[in-house]
Amino acid sequence: MTARDRILDAIRVALPQERPAPDAISAEAKALLADPDTSRPRLVAEGLFDAFILKAESIGTTIDRVGGMEAVPDAVRRYLSGHGLSLSLAVEPTPALTALDWTGLDTGTTLAPDQPAALGKALWGIAESGSLIVHSGADTPILLSFLPLHHIVVLQESDILSHLEDYAAQLADRPHPRNAILITGPSGTTDIEGSYVRGAHGPGFLHVILVASTD
Amino acid sequence: MSGAHAGAQAPFKDRATAALADKTLKIAIDRTTGNAERKRAAAVAAFPEFEAARARGKAIKDHVIAHLDHYLEQFERNATASGAKVHWAVDDAGARAIVTRICLEAKAKLVTRSKSMLGEEIGLPHALADAGIERVETDLAEHIIQLAGEKPSHIVWPAMHRTREQVAELFKTGHRPPPAAEDPATMVQSARRELRTKFLSADIGISGANFLVADTGATCTVTNEGNAELTTTPPRIHIVTAGIEKIVPSTVHAFALLRLLVRSATGGELTQYTTFHCGPKRPGDADGPEEMHIVLVDNGRTRMLADEFREMLRCIRCGACMNHCVVYRQIGGHAYGGTYPGPMGSVLTPVLDGLAGSRDLPNACTMNGRCAEVCPVGIPLPTLLRAWRIRSWREKLEPGALRVGISLWAMLAKRPALYRLASRTGVRAIRMFGKAGWISRLPLAGGWTAHRDMPRPKGRTFMEQYRAEQAKKGGRP
Repeated sequence: MTARDRILDAIRVALPQERPAPDAISAEAKALLADPDTSRPRLVAEGLFDAFILKAESIGTTIDRVGGMEAVPDAVRRYLSGHGLSLSLAVEPTPALTALDWTGLDTGTTLAPDQPAALGKALWGIAESGSLIVHSGADTPILLSFLPLHHIVVLQESDILSHLEDYAAQLADRPHPRNAILITGPSGTTDIEGSYVRGAHGPGFLHVILVASTD
Repeated sequence: MSGAHAGAQAPFKDRATAALADKTLKIAIDRTTGNAERKRAAAVAAFPEFEAARARGKAIKDHVIAHLDHYLEQFERNATASGAKVHWAVDDAGARAIVTRICLEAKAKLVTRSKSMLGEEIGLPHALADAGIERVETDLAEHIIQLAGEKPSHIVWPAMHRTREQVAELFKTGHRPPPAAEDPATMVQSARRELRTKFLSADIGISGANFLVADTGATCTVTNEGNAELTTTPPRIHIVTAGIEKIVPSTVHAFALLRLLVRSATGGELTQYTTFHCGPKRPGDADGPEEMHIVLVDNGRTRMLADEFREMLRCIRCGACMNHCVVYRQIGGHAYGGTYPGPMGSVLTPVLDGLAGSRDLPNACTMNGRCAEVCPVGIPLPTLLRAWRIRSWREKLEPGALRVGISLWAMLAKRPALYRLASRTGVRAIRMFGKAGWISRLPLAGGWTAHRDMPRPKGRTFMEQYRAEQAKKGGRP
């Protein structure tokens, strides 16, 4: 008897003989999610946009608002200069970013060991928690979100969702990527005496460039 | 029996006594648990829907437990379809063998590991060492205790028993170059530097899972540091070890539980990184492992399903019960001796390591109920601890003197007249040991009076006083 059979057998012996059909189990699972508003946090502000900003800033994310995608390189330059960093960074090879005019900035698609910053694009933001969503893919190396000390993320205002459930619905609508990641603030740790320190293994700085919707 | 803790240990009472005498330990525990308690209270206060969320979380876990076989098979199908290989292990030895075999077949020299209590439960650290594989713990706290050669003392903050001064000592010898200063920020930077090359040169990354999502086949990890993704992305192989009770029907169900988990554990709303890992690198993906293995571990869980400890399978490992436990906060995690400390550990350790060697744990509880109050999935921990006490009595595991004492008490307790006579005599006898309001030494009660005085009885039993009061009022007693 394989380990698999032994475990499943032990479960079946412990559970009642009469078992509902798979459809009935699914229906029961779905019913457990009814009326989500009764058991999830309310947004901290009226609109998705304001709620996202308030929440993200409360967990240490910084935010810069720009009028359109073409203004992103300038916003990046502003951020790097503001932190006294060299004008050099890794840019995720996603067309929305590589198509921009990067004149005057030293950009590449991989992060050199001494390079402190990387730029990526979030698929969505979540107003409930101030989270950013990143999916792995051909254009989105996961390591670019984790290796740099400064992680800069472009997010379109129109891509801000209300709650975690709204993101789950988006995720269910497409093939599941290898990694689906919710990034909620800069990396941190409280492992030494419970005192909070930023930049444990991942980025110590998380900066969002929020792009106004053009349509 | 768990191979992880087969080594000889001092008895629980000796470990607890030693912990109580350790002043530095008390300071370290207070700093972290005090913080955790305050932050959790604030997070719950800021979330008026918490009670409703808790009821929903409990219902989700109960649903999964009632259909565990269905969901495990669904998870297996979907994980396999994503390209992962699913393995099953009946016990800790089986799980260790699977992981070790994968490592050896891959000729792995360096393995990075992201914190997983299940990994500790099955004794993975030792198994890798025995197989001659270098293991690097990447969670900061696990890194600290790896340098110290210790086991975790808390399921969320494994190194909470160490003060910053003690961590500085470890890093001074363990890091090249050593950290420039002893403040937490400098020490964290030093660990970041030290571990960075390990992340990128590892052959295999091993993680646990906070959830196994049945309808996608994904496993979910939550971390604040970002070490899980750095552990699971660069190496050629990603191995997940997870208990079979971690299963949830869908991503949405996982989110409902995440809201409870993080608030209860750290007082945050979400951890900085919540990641769903679904299969190996897809064709064309910019990065990711070539292989993903998921080891589903039973190790006593199906036994719990069959007996009175089924409700313990709801546990989502937040650690709130230990942060709020008066006993844990006095003795810390190591004194418990098992993988899991505190109230949840005192329920789980007898399952994992056998009741005979751990019967003191369910007894080391004041039954004040704080753990059950703060449990985000409503596990009646005191009831389960009592169930172990009952079983221990039935299996005659109590020492002879205790059995005689309790039998004697039970004999009296079932006979009210005799009981009253005994308590009247007892109260008067005890009075002889104290002059003013307090008794500082009492025969047979040295365990109590060594640490504190006992109030001197007022001279009459409750029943005597009650009858007198009733008689005064003219009512019938």
